Amino acid sequence: MDRLDAYAEKLDTAALTATDTPQISVEDNSFTVDEAYQVQAKSIDRRYARGEKRIGIKMGLTSRAKMIQVGVDEVIWGRLTNKMVLEEGGTLSKSKFVHPRIEPEIVFIMKKELKGNVTALEAMDAVEAIGPAMEVIDSRYENFKFALTDVIADNSSSSGLVIGNWHKPDIDISNLGMRLTVNGQDTMFGSSAAILGHPVRSLVSAARMVEQSGETLKPGDIVMAGGATEAHAVSVGETVSLTVQNLGTISITVEA
Amino acid sequence: MTISQKEIKQAAGLIQEAYETHQPIAPLRDSFDMSIEDAYAVQEETTKHWIKSGRILSGRKIGVTSKAVQGQLGVDQPDFGMLFSDMAYADGQEISMSHLLQPRIEGEIAFYLKSDLDQENVTLAEVVAAIDYAVAAIEVVDSRIDDWNIQITDTIADNASSGLYVLGSTPVELKDFDHLNCGMVIEHRGQPVCTGVGSACLGNPLNACLWLAKKMLLVGRPLKAGDLILSGALGPLTPVSVNESYELKINGLGSVRANFTS
Repeated sequence: MDRLDAYAEKLDTAALTATDTPQISVEDNSFTVDEAYQVQAKSIDRRYARGEKRIGIKMGLTSRAKMIQVGVDEVIWGRLTNKMVLEEGGTLSKSKFVHPRIEPEIVFIMKKELKGNVTALEAMDAVEAIGPAMEVIDSRYENFKFALTDVIADNSSSSGLVIGNWHKPDIDISNLGMRLTVNGQDTMFGSSAAILGHPVRSLVSAARMVEQSGETLKPGDIVMAGGATEAHAVSVGETVSLTVQNLGTISITVEA
Repeated sequence: MTISQKEIKQAAGLIQEAYETHQPIAPLRDSFDMSIEDAYAVQEETTKHWIKSGRILSGRKIGVTSKAVQGQLGVDQPDFGMLFSDMAYADGQEISMSHLLQPRIEGEIAFYLKSDLDQENVTLAEVVAAIDYAVAAIEVVDSRIDDWNIQITDTIADNASSGLYVLGSTPVELKDFDHLNCGMVIEHRGQPVCTGVGSACLGNPLNACLWLAKKMLLVGRPLKAGDLILSGALGPLTPVSVNESYELKINGLGSVRANFTS
């Protein structure tokens, strides 16, 4: 078996069985970013083979704090499938994840195809609607520790998403206040401005990056723009809610 | 009180000297075993000195309004400091760094009062009724304590680490913006360097104002019509550099810029 196929299988199995796995980059120091994206595609192909459907993509490392933390100056992306969708107002089963964390986001749904180098104007023109969202990120690596290549191969830690009501994209989304509460207590504070200064910059990056992998953003695809604050590591029994200024509130309860 | 009147005057003298000589001082807690009450007594001593020397009180600032900072300083309540009219800067006006020791900035909502808040048992309803309008404000905080090595008594004695403040110029009534959920960003060279939201200030910036109104009545300097309240940071402290400009945007309140020069 090709070495990249082996990594893809290892990561897919880790996700499927909710067990952590050692970092690839520690044992393979020749592992490149290009190869990491190939591993991601291969591991997602295994999901498609089991019947999961592609629903869009997620952007990651979209805040300066995260970029500095990982030591990079470029955003990353991952793929979303229908199996990752969690019902808004419903439950998250913690045992299906390794060490899940929730982060507050803004999400786009596309009405037109978008790819390559586009302007913010073209990107917004391709958007059908926007909404509030929480992403469940769950690194399959031990202790949530990884190098850039590791996290890319691991589908950019993507593992679940909760999405709220759609709004027409005529709302100014440049600086929407975001409050993540846990059992009603404010826990994370932020603004959509933390997403690269404006979430549309994330969408512009998304269009450019998917094309590099020979893909496009298609009508009906959702694009998770990236976290606006640090992620909250969830515990069983918590109800985690996100309120986004002008977009509403969404929540999910964590069970065993 | 755990320290003497003489020590209060000594501590106040050290703070005043730091302002005059532009030289930071060692933490006051190293020399004075102050309670929080003592620290406010030191602050009041400096306030009296400055009023006597001709400075005009323009309002108050509320500090330590985030749970995170309260945790760092080991307290469960905010603190307050005095604002003087000479600390006020206009949108984009040049701020000479030579007037400051180790400035940092915060994005806040400033409330301007149209009536006195001097009644006993003041309620949130009365605070709301007393507010004329809100503007976005950059608070330039500063510390006379070397290297910002502060505990709660150091910062209280040092006028709650006040520096200057820069006010936005688009007044908005309370009913016309979402003071709870408003997004806050400070941009530097087009990139976000600090973000936050209204509720980061004590759960609600008006909670901080109510706390202040009660506290000021208690200490005998009640809030008056025409006073400005800097209600507390909506995000983390942000470092600043000379010859750089920082723009604060609060959703619904417009923007304001702080320009630092040498």
